[in-house]
Amino acid sequence: MKRSRLWTSLIGIVVLSVGLLGLNLALDNTPILGLDLKGGISVILAPVEDGATAGDLGIIRDLVRDQLESSGIAEPDVRVEGTNVVVDLPGVNDQAEALSKVSVSGIVTLQPVIGCNVGLPVDASLGQQELPLLSGGTCVVSPSTATGEVFERKSAGVNINSQSGQWIVDVDLSAVGEPQWNSLAQACFSGAANCPSRQLAIVLDGVIQSAPTVQTPDFGGSVQISGAFTEDEARSLSDVLNRGAFPFQMEPQRIESVSATAGQDSLNAAVIAGLIGLALTLLAMIAYYRKLSIVIVGGLIVWGMTIFTLATVVSQATNYALSLAGATGIIVAVGMTVDSYVVFFERLRDEVRHGRTMANAAPSAFTATWRTTVSADVVSLIASLVLFWLSVGSVKGFALYLGLTTISDLLVCYFFTRPAVLLLASNGFLDRPWRQKSTTVIGATS
Amino acid sequence: MSNLAERGLTGAPAVAGQVVRPTAIGRLSEGQTAVDFVGRRRISMWVSIVLLVLTMLSLFTRGLNLGIDFEGGVSWDVPAAAFDENDAITVLSDNGISTEGSRIQRRASESGEFIKVQVETQTDEVTEALRIEFANVAGVAHDEVNVNLVSSSWGSEITEKAVRALVIFMLVVGLFISIRFEWRMALSSIAAMIHDVIIAVGLYSMLQFIVTPATVIAFLTILGYSLYDTIVVFDRIRENETRFAAQKPPYDDVINVSVNQVVMRSLTTSFSSVVPVVSLLVVGAGILGATTLSEFALALLIGMLIGVYSSIFVASPLLAVLKHHDSNWKSRNIPRAVGEPLREMVMGGAMGSRRRRVVAAQAEDTDAPAEPAAAPVDGSTQVSAALSHPPRPRKKRRR
Repeated sequence: MKRSRLWTSLIGIVVLSVGLLGLNLALDNTPILGLDLKGGISVILAPVEDGATAGDLGIIRDLVRDQLESSGIAEPDVRVEGTNVVVDLPGVNDQAEALSKVSVSGIVTLQPVIGCNVGLPVDASLGQQELPLLSGGTCVVSPSTATGEVFERKSAGVNINSQSGQWIVDVDLSAVGEPQWNSLAQACFSGAANCPSRQLAIVLDGVIQSAPTVQTPDFGGSVQISGAFTEDEARSLSDVLNRGAFPFQMEPQRIESVSATAGQDSLNAAVIAGLIGLALTLLAMIAYYRKLSIVIVGGLIVWGMTIFTLATVVSQATNYALSLAGATGIIVAVGMTVDSYVVFFERLRDEVRHGRTMANAAPSAFTATWRTTVSADVVSLIASLVLFWLSVGSVKGFALYLGLTTISDLLVCYFFTRPAVLLLASNGFLDRPWRQKSTTVIGATS
Repeated sequence: MSNLAERGLTGAPAVAGQVVRPTAIGRLSEGQTAVDFVGRRRISMWVSIVLLVLTMLSLFTRGLNLGIDFEGGVSWDVPAAAFDENDAITVLSDNGISTEGSRIQRRASESGEFIKVQVETQTDEVTEALRIEFANVAGVAHDEVNVNLVSSSWGSEITEKAVRALVIFMLVVGLFISIRFEWRMALSSIAAMIHDVIIAVGLYSMLQFIVTPATVIAFLTILGYSLYDTIVVFDRIRENETRFAAQKPPYDDVINVSVNQVVMRSLTTSFSSVVPVVSLLVVGAGILGATTLSEFALALLIGMLIGVYSSIFVASPLLAVLKHHDSNWKSRNIPRAVGEPLREMVMGGAMGSRRRRVVAAQAEDTDAPAEPAAAPVDGSTQVSAALSHPPRPRKKRRR
């Protein structure tokens, strides 16, 4: 048996996990803690004009949360209080950063273009305005009542036109928005008085994002915008269209710091309780598996270090803060991790009972249980991937930590448990006490 | 646990070269149990039906007690100069408002610090009365305490997305299990998973615990745990299917043998998963006083226990029922092995000849009920008894 490779794997994962943990501790990197554990910063958004209904504010709440999540702020707590929208941000420490993250509001309007960069007079009596273009220059535009609400929420996407090879933005029209869009398109396509340039400007907070020329008077439910976009330009345009449906302009009214709701006490309680539980579990495992339990203790230490490293790296990189639910989720994952050992060791005992030696039984027992562990863990991984991909809020955070613990379990099982057991078994260390023990009554059960 | 392996204690003291333990726990730890799980599926079926009916009744009559994250509520902003979180809790409990599920935050801005107290929706009178009381305790004028209605932060959108994600998850997992195992196993394991989550949710409804986002996470954890546990049991069934295929046993035997073989693993695993959660419940919530943890831990504890129960008592019998209609396993009309023949299969990992099995089953039928439990024999007798049987070949080819 290739002992050298087993040693490489064993030493490799131990050195790697210790090294990464040491690196994190040396750099003073720890996982970002969630709102309930650490608090954060809260931005209170107020509507600029009066008259926002509860329905409008509800839409704004959902839009703000979507926007925050797509910009990488995970698990913000967004709710409507009175006529304000309160945005609590976890893991954000300074106020300027909080403000810039929450400046997601903005009204998108659609305005027919009179002409661009030609020094046209602005006829204010007709409500015309001169607005800057994002790419430089200015355009004179006519007024219109159409806003970003004509687009279906979150329907915009970036594609490549297969013929021209250019970046294009596709967006769907909402049921109510389609006639509005089409009447504007009709006017522009025919070069009516308010739209002699045949261009329709997409305006965000007074800046023209894009002014595409209308190619057809009638759009059947969806719109394709093409032009000499770079990929980034196409993506930012699609973001604008996606967020476009703010029914009211919101502005940050004030910033507050928020204390933790669960607080340090809860985190301490969870950690202490988790450690006690872990210690009890380990004691039971030691009583039950005796010498083999060395592998469980070692494996769980490596697993814990891997989780800490992954949680730190992921929460720093993506702002997925560790909330109380996440912390307890990790405690629960201890159970599933211990299960990989239990399945393996029960199989080993089974084979030894059939008269095999440990050295003989270990490789085949591992092969059989590795299959079981992979099947069961793949199901957990599917759960975490689907939930992470498709859900929002704390469900997404849960999925992330479920995925991390499952990956750690697989890594430790293959790179630590396997070589550790095979090496211990191959030199006969596990054999003799085991056989003697099998005539004494053992077994701690629940 | 001691009654788990009580049946089939009679007969040979040694099977397949191993000594059969005299005590139930001993047999359990050595993988020598011979419980007819499939034959007792009616018991577990009725248990599950009763639980599900209770759950449904409770959900329809009492519903769930949703927290402020789902239903919104009312909040008071009390200046924090002479007022702190504990004062808020005192005022709330003096007025008979449960502080469970409330949210009390200290907030600071340029205009000063204040305590935001948020609870479930109250009547206008209560809201106003509390405003006055908060102001009195804090020593400020009444209008310095701001009252606001608060919307839910967990909008319907989050729920919709989570439900859609769950449906897609079940489809993908169903497909995965169908490919890796077979569709009947996919169906049984997903059914058992839904069974577990429904019962866990029902418990929340029956006990009227407050549902918070953390509770939803606990339910999701239960879901994952249940599926995980079932997969481990099914993997063993799958393995034994191929091992036993040539001997053409009834499928019930495969299930009984497999479940008996993994029962110790299931107990050990649930023990090791439950201990940290119990510790969370007792040490964290009870002694250190972090009440937020208590219900979360309780939901997890119950869910885990149901998860382990369902993979043995729901998913496996369900698989047996589905398999009765599988043409590959149909019409194997010998009776299901119980008692010693079953133990022999569990311990030996192989089936005896069909003829011997039928004879043994008949013998079991005639003498099993009358025979008293065998007295424990001393070690030396057992060893000699073990040697009277031909030893199993050492290196048996697997699969």
